[in-house]
Amino acid sequence: MIKFMPYILVLMILFSCKKEPEKLFTVLSPEDSGINFNNKLRDTVGQNILDYLYYYNGGGVAIGDINNDELPDIFFTSNQNQNKLYLNKGNLKFEDITESANVAGKSDWSTGVSMADVNGDGLLDIYVCAVVGTNGFMGMNELYVNNGDLTFSEKGHEYGLDFDNYSSSAAFFDYDLDGDLDVYLLNHAIHTEESFGKASIRNNRTYESGDKLLRNNNNKFVDVSESAGIFGGANGYGLGLAISDFNQDGYPDIYVSNDFHEDDYYYLNNGDGTFSESLKDYFGHVSKFSMGNDAGDINNDGFTDLVTLDMLPEDEKVLKSSAGDDNIQLQNLRTKQFGYYYQYARNMVQVNQGASSFTETGFLSNIAATDWSWSALIADYDQDGNQDIFIANGIPKRPNDLDYIKYISNSQVKKKIETTNLIDKEALDYMPDGKLKNGFYQGSTDLRFNNQTDTWVTQNPSYSTGSAYADLDKDGDLDLVTNNIDEPATIYINNTNSKKNFLKLQFNYLGKNRFGIGTKVKLYNQGGVQSKELFLQRGFQSSSQPILHFGLDSLKTIDSIKVIWPNRTFQTLKNISTNQTVEVSYENAKPYEYNFEDTLKHQVFTKVGDKLGIFFKHTDNNYIDSNRNKLIPYQISDRGPAVAIGDINNDGKDDVFFGNGKHVPSEIYIQNDNGFLKYEDRLLKNSAIVEESSAIISDFNNDNKNDLFVAAGGGEFFGKSEELQNTLYTFSVTGLEVLDVQEGYEDTAIIKAADFDGDGDLDVFVGNASISNDFGNIPESYMLQNDAGSFSKKSLGNLGMVRDATWTDFNNDNQIDLIVVGEWMSPMFFENNNGEFVNKTSTYSSSPLNGLWRAIIPFDVDKDGDLDYILGNWGTNTKFKASEEYPMLMYYADFDKNSKTETLLATEKDGKYYTLEGLDELSSQLVSLTKKKFTVYKDFAGRPIDQVFDSSVLNDAKVFEVHTLASGVLKNNDGRFIFQPFGNQLQVAPINCFVKINLSGKDRVLCAGNYFGVKPYHGRFDGFLGALISDQNNIELGNTLGLDFFNKAITKLETITFNNKQYLIAVIHNDDVQIYEIKKD
Amino acid sequence: MFKFMKLKKTSLILLGIVLVQSCNTKDEPIEVTSRNFMDSVDLVTEIMIHDVFSPPVASRVYVYPNIAAFEIIAQNNETYKSLSGQLPGLKPIPKAESQNVNLKVSALVAHMELSKTLIFSEDRIIHFRDSLYGIWKDKNKGEFEASEAYGLKVVSYIKDWMNKDNYIQTRTMHKFNIDADDPSRWQPTPPAYMDGIEPHWMKIRTMVLDSASQFKPIPPPKFSLEEDAPFYKELMEVYNVSQDITKRGDTSEEIEIAQFWDCNPFVSVTRGHLMFATKKISPGAHWIGITKIACKNENLDFNETVYALTKTSIGIFEAFISCWDEKYRSNLIRPETLINQYVDEKWKPILQTPPFPEYTSGHSVVSGSASTILTSIFGDDYTFIDDTEVAFGLPLRTFTSFNRAAEEAAISRLYGGIHYRAAIEQGLKQGRKVGHLVAEKVKMK
Repeated sequence: MIKFMPYILVLMILFSCKKEPEKLFTVLSPEDSGINFNNKLRDTVGQNILDYLYYYNGGGVAIGDINNDELPDIFFTSNQNQNKLYLNKGNLKFEDITESANVAGKSDWSTGVSMADVNGDGLLDIYVCAVVGTNGFMGMNELYVNNGDLTFSEKGHEYGLDFDNYSSSAAFFDYDLDGDLDVYLLNHAIHTEESFGKASIRNNRTYESGDKLLRNNNNKFVDVSESAGIFGGANGYGLGLAISDFNQDGYPDIYVSNDFHEDDYYYLNNGDGTFSESLKDYFGHVSKFSMGNDAGDINNDGFTDLVTLDMLPEDEKVLKSSAGDDNIQLQNLRTKQFGYYYQYARNMVQVNQGASSFTETGFLSNIAATDWSWSALIADYDQDGNQDIFIANGIPKRPNDLDYIKYISNSQVKKKIETTNLIDKEALDYMPDGKLKNGFYQGSTDLRFNNQTDTWVTQNPSYSTGSAYADLDKDGDLDLVTNNIDEPATIYINNTNSKKNFLKLQFNYLGKNRFGIGTKVKLYNQGGVQSKELFLQRGFQSSSQPILHFGLDSLKTIDSIKVIWPNRTFQTLKNISTNQTVEVSYENAKPYEYNFEDTLKHQVFTKVGDKLGIFFKHTDNNYIDSNRNKLIPYQISDRGPAVAIGDINNDGKDDVFFGNGKHVPSEIYIQNDNGFLKYEDRLLKNSAIVEESSAIISDFNNDNKNDLFVAAGGGEFFGKSEELQNTLYTFSVTGLEVLDVQEGYEDTAIIKAADFDGDGDLDVFVGNASISNDFGNIPESYMLQNDAGSFSKKSLGNLGMVRDATWTDFNNDNQIDLIVVGEWMSPMFFENNNGEFVNKTSTYSSSPLNGLWRAIIPFDVDKDGDLDYILGNWGTNTKFKASEEYPMLMYYADFDKNSKTETLLATEKDGKYYTLEGLDELSSQLVSLTKKKFTVYKDFAGRPIDQVFDSSVLNDAKVFEVHTLASGVLKNNDGRFIFQPFGNQLQVAPINCFVKINLSGKDRVLCAGNYFGVKPYHGRFDGFLGALISDQNNIELGNTLGLDFFNKAITKLETITFNNKQYLIAVIHNDDVQIYEIKKD
Repeated sequence: MFKFMKLKKTSLILLGIVLVQSCNTKDEPIEVTSRNFMDSVDLVTEIMIHDVFSPPVASRVYVYPNIAAFEIIAQNNETYKSLSGQLPGLKPIPKAESQNVNLKVSALVAHMELSKTLIFSEDRIIHFRDSLYGIWKDKNKGEFEASEAYGLKVVSYIKDWMNKDNYIQTRTMHKFNIDADDPSRWQPTPPAYMDGIEPHWMKIRTMVLDSASQFKPIPPPKFSLEEDAPFYKELMEVYNVSQDITKRGDTSEEIEIAQFWDCNPFVSVTRGHLMFATKKISPGAHWIGITKIACKNENLDFNETVYALTKTSIGIFEAFISCWDEKYRSNLIRPETLINQYVDEKWKPILQTPPFPEYTSGHSVVSGSASTILTSIFGDDYTFIDDTEVAFGLPLRTFTSFNRAAEEAAISRLYGGIHYRAAIEQGLKQGRKVGHLVAEKVKMK
């Protein structure tokens, strides 16, 4: 033994030489800290995951200085055992004073905890929530009033806060601005009903599970829920609670995250003691299995954003063996019939768009999938000036494991029949473990968070639930504390220290709110602003230290700080040096005007109430492509309708044609001096079945009268259906007449006219997208060459899934050329050589640039005098993933040899490709290839696609690629084109359409998008507000311009002149058209 | 527990065979008993429970391996008539050429091997097969190998025929369209809200029926929620019966009947994030079980057992096609959906509503068909003790005839709260017509 010692010594020396760079956080051991609190769970009959659905929700953490020694102390709740209070003795040493402080608690099942100065005596009190009245749980919510001598007295009853119901946490704040702290008590139902039940159940208050708003009447809390408009139904599964003045009117609002099928609640404070729940007006979709959340300004625009947590796994193995989202029909049932909102099982980042609405960017922000996640804390941990996100996660047993549900549980349940004891260890052992590393995500200036979990800290996986931040060691940076199940609490000590600068603010406010809960701070510096609000209840079942902490990178002095007090006054601090803690006392405060409208840009578009008489509403028949073609990646039947502007009745005024859905007639609106009148036409009624996808009003037969060319498409008709034929109409006194019907049965996406052969008549490019019922088969696209009114077809080949095209002379030879864009293809450049088209794509662009391109418009975006092209793509806020190195792949073949083709999508993760769809979805279409091979989910989960399907199957398939999902600009660089993606605010949803707008004598491009034609697995692209592009550096979002595009799928934009004024027509899929007057200046 | 016992039973039999075999060293004829065949059928049933096969698909998994076995024993046999020429597209199987072939061995080989291709979890069937093969090989290698080769040949022949029944095509046909705007149209039901299963089952090739719609039942009562409308009265009957028997408790005769005939292969239970399932045999499997009981009671030999099981399984197979044809013609909404919407938001049926349209009742059609065929084989007034559901914690029930059992199975759906009376009465009629046709038209003897 002794012999080997020298080697070990050498090894040790070697290791110690290779010193690892210090990480941002260091985990403090229980031995060092003295904190050995452990939320140990002991399964008993009646207390286990089968009998209590929130058995694994864990406990909370509250941090605050209970003895005013400037050292933050820590309180932990334990579900089954004693709660613990640790006194901070300095130097990161803590002492357990639970017994002497008299705060161990009597409840059988404690949950969340808050520290707040409940009685307004300047000392932090502690409020502990409990679940009482089910599963044999006894006890009550407990209020520990601080006696100021390191002891507490439980006075819940005296204050009216001794609830014996199913509480998860409580937030103390002054909702009515009367100077004292009121409380929102978050409760959760404990039974999940097997049927959805109507959403309106939330209107019937129940004591046990209903949330409560309690008004502080001189230290007596009175339930005002009913009159304040707070829901308290049996379907409220409240797990997350965020308080913030989201709409910047001075009154704190409330966001409640509800688990399961109940919607989250967004309560806007009306300022008169009541709230209006307004989720559907401001959010496009929310987390489904919502757990913890946090509110904070992540993009430094002065408005509070929101992070909500859910349980979507990142790990392929876990992902593909866990139950996923609803199918599309069930989603429709849930939303339309039962009245619930759109909810998807993933973390969400809800970006507050100037209080007009929230744009959800979870995927783009890179935090959508952090598995079973409880607590989110937004703060600037690395002090670089951008907010970061900490996520505490983990679950002892994963009860949504598909193998457990489908194959294992049956025998366990049988056992219950025999032994009447379901909950033995064996039963639980079959559920997979869900221990996880807590997540650290570093913020940026562009809504994206980079996963630094492995670089910022060395930590073991854990089941972490509640968490809170505080500067435990008073070194200026924020440390973190998590409450863990079956393990000691984790203390993360922040090592930023003096590497980056900080400012800490604490407040000395008025009367019974000495800590200044509700105070806002705007920190202005070099044109930028950071904003924060002091609300303590954050994350999950926890409350953080009552300070505001700002990271300031290398900044030495701050220009100015605006402190806005809860009573709508403010004071300004100037030239504050960093790296200090400033206590701001209320003095010389001036009235503060909550009026952010002036910070918004001038309104360019004004909605026209009477719509000039254009009362068109697009009505689609809600056809679901994936009912027939189960593996289609998105709908192809919902891209319409067509719109065309032109003088159809040849009276010198422009009219409007709108296509419509299946069985709904198209509509024509004729312009007169007073507005527009709908023109009733027999032919339009007769051809109602056609789904018009593109249209042109122009003179095609040179009779000096305009004609109407209508293209038909959609995903529903297939084979040689005459509903798919394109038709040319002319207009006579008796109405429309058919001039010509084009033979052709493709799903036409676009027709674009130009006189490419210079013979004086209009030729037409016909761009086809797909062949219905055979997605992946590429149709021919072609020219219709016009010879004195008769068209001859000139094929351009099977170009791809064409969606749009533009006629411009891109090579400056005075002949008009064509650029074609589409899905799973690169923009294609066709040079016009005296009427012959030559594909010169490789001459004009070099890098592979396949996208899911949906639209193109020429525009000199860099003002250098040559034409660039703006391209609309899918956006990057999506489960799709594509890059040049790792393109998104789509395999197309008749995989199971049943004479029907299928498509399979695969994207890269850690260098390998995986199918997007899970085993159930794949086997709904490819039974023979999957079910036989994978009889249990865990065999399938985590397998790359080449281990799911035999190589022969994949090799025989045609493979499509996408290299970029970003919308952006093809920049003209001396005749060659280079793609430059837009910033992230334009990547939040697919961009579907463009229109040129002239403002102040300058051309600009308005773009619009959003799209709902995807399975619930992908969610819903609803948050793009439209954007006006003046040039590459001047892009304004639609909400600042007067546009109402939130949560609407805009498919076409057009402008029209009426009475010498310019109007914008926004055509919306399955919705009313919008008409805007465009500002003239 | 159930699985364990099953395995033990099988291995005891195997052990017995091994013990007998070890006393001999010389080749001797391999003996195959009706018990061996029934064990193979049982194993298929168990695997189908595990793999979660829907009732219509389960009926297909039973019928083809049975036919393969029957065709083997029916050749050169004076008692039995081949089904070739009787079932559409089925031509005579190739004859066994080698003298060494033991037709019973080949029949069992065919049953196991074809079943194996139809279920998902092959491991257990392979395990079962290999232990039998080992014993047979030891006993008489020549006979076994010849019989195995022949059995496999027939499997591939029957498979070719089977694969033309449109099953593969129906896998990829479109899903049932949900349209909640039509108040009479079926929609998914709690708690799993599963899609309507097998919306194209009527497109499966029938064996005896001239078409899926040959015994198209009269339409269900016209949908109406007017108080005096027959449909509404039937809806309220479901509700009232359910309320009434619930009041009387779990030991009431009606609840016992409902539970006994539940036959739902996948009952899902959700508690928060925790979800689990209890599984039972399908209605078809229950009647296969009853067939086995009768075979055992009568001490039928191998060939007779194969005959009885084959004929019954054809009746069940046809019944599902006939029933599913009507289900996705009328697309009628389930009582649970309507009662929750219009009568009682909190009401839950005693049985979990299965995921397909209401009219006609699948169990009624299948029971009508199977009982009619069994009556034609074993006679009316045939008393038997039904122990099929014992493995699922349910009691024995005694019946004095197959028809009585079928009638009880049918009415159980009303007690269970998952069917209106019309679906039960018309379903039973429909099933009996199917059964009569199969019993009379298919000449297997």
